[in-house]
Amino acid sequence: MVDNKKLQGEIKKILGRNDVKHVICYSKGTYGFQTTPYFVSKKDDIEKIIFSPLCVNNLSLYVKFDEGTEKIGIVVKGCDSRSLVQMIQEKLIPREKLIIVGIPCNGVIDPKKVRQKIPEELENIDVVEKNDKFIFKRDGKKQKIPKRELVFDKCLVCEYPTPIIYDILVGEKINPLGKDEYKQVKDLESKSLDEKWKFWEKQFSQCIRCYACRNVCPACYCKECMAEQLNPQWLRRSVNLSENTVWNVMHAFHLAGRCTDCGECERVCPMDIPLMLLNKKVEKDVRELFDYLAGVDVDEKPLLAMFKPDDPEEDIK
Amino acid sequence: MSPTQELVIDKNKIPQFIKQTLSSYIVLGPVKNNNLVSFKQITNSKEITMDFTNSKVPPKSLYFPQTETLFRFTKDKDIEIETPKNDGKTLVFGIRPCDAKSLKLLDQVFSGEYEDSLFLSRRKNTTLVGLTCNSPSVNCFCTSVGGNPDDTTGLDVLLTDIGDKYFVELLTQKGKNLVESFNEFKPAKNEDKKKKTVISRKARESIQRIVKTEKIEQILNEIFENKYWGEISRKCLGCGICTFLCPTCHCFDIQDETAGKKGARIRIWDSCMYPEYSMQASGYNPRPAQMNRMRNRVYHKFNYFPKNQHVFGCVGCGRCIDECPVNVDIIEIINKAREVKNE
Amino acid sequence: MPKEFEPNIVAFLCNWCSYAGADLAGTSRIQYPPNVKIIRVMCSGRVNPIFVLNALQEGVDGVIIGGCHPGECHYETGNYLARRRMTVLKKILEYIGINPKRVQMAWISASEGGKFAEVIKTATDEIKKLGPISQIKRRNKW
Repeated sequence: MVDNKKLQGEIKKILGRNDVKHVICYSKGTYGFQTTPYFVSKKDDIEKIIFSPLCVNNLSLYVKFDEGTEKIGIVVKGCDSRSLVQMIQEKLIPREKLIIVGIPCNGVIDPKKVRQKIPEELENIDVVEKNDKFIFKRDGKKQKIPKRELVFDKCLVCEYPTPIIYDILVGEKINPLGKDEYKQVKDLESKSLDEKWKFWEKQFSQCIRCYACRNVCPACYCKECMAEQLNPQWLRRSVNLSENTVWNVMHAFHLAGRCTDCGECERVCPMDIPLMLLNKKVEKDVRELFDYLAGVDVDEKPLLAMFKPDDPEEDIK
Repeated sequence: MSPTQELVIDKNKIPQFIKQTLSSYIVLGPVKNNNLVSFKQITNSKEITMDFTNSKVPPKSLYFPQTETLFRFTKDKDIEIETPKNDGKTLVFGIRPCDAKSLKLLDQVFSGEYEDSLFLSRRKNTTLVGLTCNSPSVNCFCTSVGGNPDDTTGLDVLLTDIGDKYFVELLTQKGKNLVESFNEFKPAKNEDKKKKTVISRKARESIQRIVKTEKIEQILNEIFENKYWGEISRKCLGCGICTFLCPTCHCFDIQDETAGKKGARIRIWDSCMYPEYSMQASGYNPRPAQMNRMRNRVYHKFNYFPKNQHVFGCVGCGRCIDECPVNVDIIEIINKAREVKNE
Repeated sequence: MPKEFEPNIVAFLCNWCSYAGADLAGTSRIQYPPNVKIIRVMCSGRVNPIFVLNALQEGVDGVIIGGCHPGECHYETGNYLARRRMTVLKKILEYIGINPKRVQMAWISASEGGKFAEVIKTATDEIKKLGPISQIKRRNKW
């Protein structure tokens, strides 16, 4: 459990500096299980800052929008810090511009999973961690549910629960919660080509091309996305299986060696498309083929901008 | 105004009723797929679910499809303008009152000086059977924008679940035509009507989130230049989910698609939350920042649309609040806007 | 007599090596299937995965990318980068359910006219067996 008062105190100290524009952190949402990104620039507003197992957003995406010379403070969990590492590696933002408040994280609650067990209501729900359970308090009633049933799938196999880079750490360092065996990816890999297409055809037919997956991704910061280019137009704006498939494939390709597994794309997709199933496949391949993992080393070079003379050459004639 | 007729039908007779309608209507209803409900064409009454809050994608997609051909062309030949297809009568089953109202709002947009024949012909051929919201969800606020969980605007028939029966209100001639050939509809008794009244009242009272919309048009007029809009839009990603899932949003883009000598002009959904939406050919963008775009969206629903069409441009379905990845909340935005003072 | 399926294949050939190799195959009068349509690029590193996907969308049944042998790229590193890119792309396509044999890569030098013809022959045979592409083909319903 994160001491909210300690967190607020650290952020107050950051705001006390004269070179900080704002600190990006979390606050209570407007209903039920919601929390929201919160931009704090005045010391009087720090009481609204929280951190709870419901803080699911990856705040590092807001670095994309940063302008000006002032520093920005940012609160990150373990997975979020990997996005920051990736951004620094790609020189999107200099390390000195960030004041990182790291929060070691034991897992956050998947809103889709919890809404199936506890009905959504207006009043903000209170949730605390106790050992391996979450305890929800509402209307004086308590409900205990094992963490394993509520956290995101990514949290169950998290190898980086403690932020990789930070200036201040709020909480005790945590050891890896699991090891990623890519089970779901392997299950799908074992199916035949026809079965695979049947599965993805169903998923991509649902896509409404809202581009929320792209906008929420911290690694997607092109000023003009290839999906919007008109001259030449690579991707038609029509929504149909062909264009949707190409969009999703190209998006996954552009994230090869850059996706840090934060899972936000899958969380925000309004049509419940299992995007992490696609992105993790690319991540697994990149790890196996090139021994490369995104977002762990600030000095690493970008995957597709470099090569090794002995790179794998399967099926090249 | 045609007098409504009040009937009841046993719930277990509904599958038979739908089976009968399939012989003379194209039937569209709420289909559940892994917790995601959407309006799809059905060929079997078992495909429909009546156990849902609302569909993810609003029923506007049935009349104003996401991708639609306007006309076709072939090099060195004539242009072939898309004529409205007369596929026959359509029945939409299980539409919520807020969505039915949204279709009436879209009618105003797509008619007037220029009539959009593709949209209007689909609307003309449709019969809408609504379903009262017995349990509105957390973010529903239809009552704040002139609606109700049992509102009849835009519907031909309204069903209310009163236990083992549906209370049936026939609202138009189309509605009467729909039910008259099925003899399991029986006249409603007083106790049925009482049940319906109680359920409707309870539904209305269960809506906790209220948007204070009194004089909101005037208030918005006064705070256009306020820095409030910059503050509330900072977290907005500009992802477009709110506009795509909004039952009243109707912005579209027009593109030409070609393959060899043939091609077509296509209309597709667009979103005012994207920077490219208002980007001009010169490179100048009158809405350069997310602040401008967010402000435009709020004003469109609560100021511009009321000015032009004399109704709110929002029906209070709550989808934008449910699906926004960063909890941008229109209810909070409007309520807090009242407190903003001019500087 | 039913017409046998003849695949449409597009080959992106790099100007300095594989395109010259194709030229040599022609001037040497080496026979190879006419199914291939060649697009010359300056380097195999120019090939963007979207080119491959657009080709498949337009109904092309197979795509070949021809480049210089590793270490011999006219621009030093282009083919190495292309190699990484195409490896990743082929893995994604296979995972989606599109047969990876539809996208092939070959190192063909300017003097390997014979190899070029061989590559085209083998590719045409393999893609003929797979049948016409249908998964991401643009339907153009208008």
